[in-house]
Amino acid sequence: MDPSALAFLGAGLGAGLVALGAGLGIGKLAGPAMEATARQPEATGDIRTSMIIAAALIEGVALFGLVICIILATK
Amino acid sequence: MIKRASIFVLLAQLTLLALPRGVAASSDDQEKFDALHHSANAYYLDIAPLDPIELPRIFIVRYEDGSYGLNLFRSTSSAILNGHYVSEIDAGHGGEVQGDDHEVEGDTHAETQGGITGEITGELIGEITTAQLEGHLVPPGGSHVVLDLSISRHLFFAWLAMGIVLLIMTRLAGMYKKGIGRETAPRGLFQNMFEGMVVFIRDDIVKPNLGDKTDKYLPYLLTAFFFILTANLLGLVPFGATATSNLMVTVVLASFTFVFTQLGGTKTYWMHIFWPPGIPTFVKPILMPVEVLGILTKPIALAIRLFANMTAGHLVILSLIGLIFSFTNIFGSGAGYGVAPVSVAFALFIYFLELLVSFIQAYVFTMLSALFIGMAIQEHEAHDDAHQEQQIEASASPEAEPVFAN
Repeated sequence: MDPSALAFLGAGLGAGLVALGAGLGIGKLAGPAMEATARQPEATGDIRTSMIIAAALIEGVALFGLVICIILATK
Repeated sequence: MIKRASIFVLLAQLTLLALPRGVAASSDDQEKFDALHHSANAYYLDIAPLDPIELPRIFIVRYEDGSYGLNLFRSTSSAILNGHYVSEIDAGHGGEVQGDDHEVEGDTHAETQGGITGEITGELIGEITTAQLEGHLVPPGGSHVVLDLSISRHLFFAWLAMGIVLLIMTRLAGMYKKGIGRETAPRGLFQNMFEGMVVFIRDDIVKPNLGDKTDKYLPYLLTAFFFILTANLLGLVPFGATATSNLMVTVVLASFTFVFTQLGGTKTYWMHIFWPPGIPTFVKPILMPVEVLGILTKPIALAIRLFANMTAGHLVILSLIGLIFSFTNIFGSGAGYGVAPVSVAFALFIYFLELLVSFIQAYVFTMLSALFIGMAIQEHEAHDDAHQEQQIEASASPEAEPVFAN
């Protein structure tokens, strides 16, 4: 098999895994945040802020994974 | 009513006209998938079906004898025709070169696609071909380009975004200076629209993070927000390009945040990096490099987040539209017509999603910039609980509503 084919395969699989991880992470974060907002609507602003910060951190890790996938795919 | 309807028809036509080039890129199944290439940077403004407007090329060249020179051209074609530059077609887009004979073979393709394949592969525009326009310019003789300062499509749209922001904001600032909006109610469409956004950024994003230093950093954060928002939205306009889908633009934006963070850093901030308190001494040298890396990864993540989000939306739209042509190529034109409504519906959905993402990413960038700067300029240590409680007690005024009332 052409080695670059494996690189493409790796990039595709990697992108999928990255999406899976980021989805799980942000899902776990957003669900309780919404519950919390429903329980205590007056704390919406604070909850939103801390949710976005944590989501950004998760997304940051996912984006690093994604960049590696892009580098692999464009090799 | 009729006038309004005709405007919509015109807009719809413009949108349709804007598509063919992007579509053409992915229409040929023997080519590499070219959606990536289409959303990438180039040295012309794509105003299909008209000929592209070429942008000036500026090179700083090192000649064979070791001297340096500045080469200025009105356009890529002028550089090729008058400057004797050679356009090297990128190996990654080999499909464009092969495309010619493919077009000859695939008569059915040419029919269904209206000869679009020919347009992207090597149609003459003016005096050079499209392939030459896309190529990488190499100067003649033994000289080589030291610095390519050519004005690219993304740069053009970044300037356009800057111009729009500057125009609107200076006008509004002038109105506030005169007292309109401070002593009276805001007047006019723009002032009403922007006052809401500016107040939201100040009170909900910047103030919770920066506290009494808000006024010092608010101008930067507002500028960043409105520039990113304008650049994002310009990418959704027909014939437009997203400046923020260029990694260089986002890196520059993030590096501003980086510089502000380091310049504003207090003694506490630097101590937490080089000698973190509250942990055993032997761990401190291990933690130091991690903290130093942390300084760098924050702005890098900031840049990549914006870049990836803005690129991804365009790629998804182009891929969905490209599906129509892939289906036509594989299963015949019937399948193409069948897939088209679904593709267009999904593309429209992604388009609206991207509209939302434009706002969210501008918000996230501003929010995280404010957070990073806020973490660096914070005088009080967050883990110092006794200290913090004192502060809360001191700041709690009698009329303040208790947060945990119920």
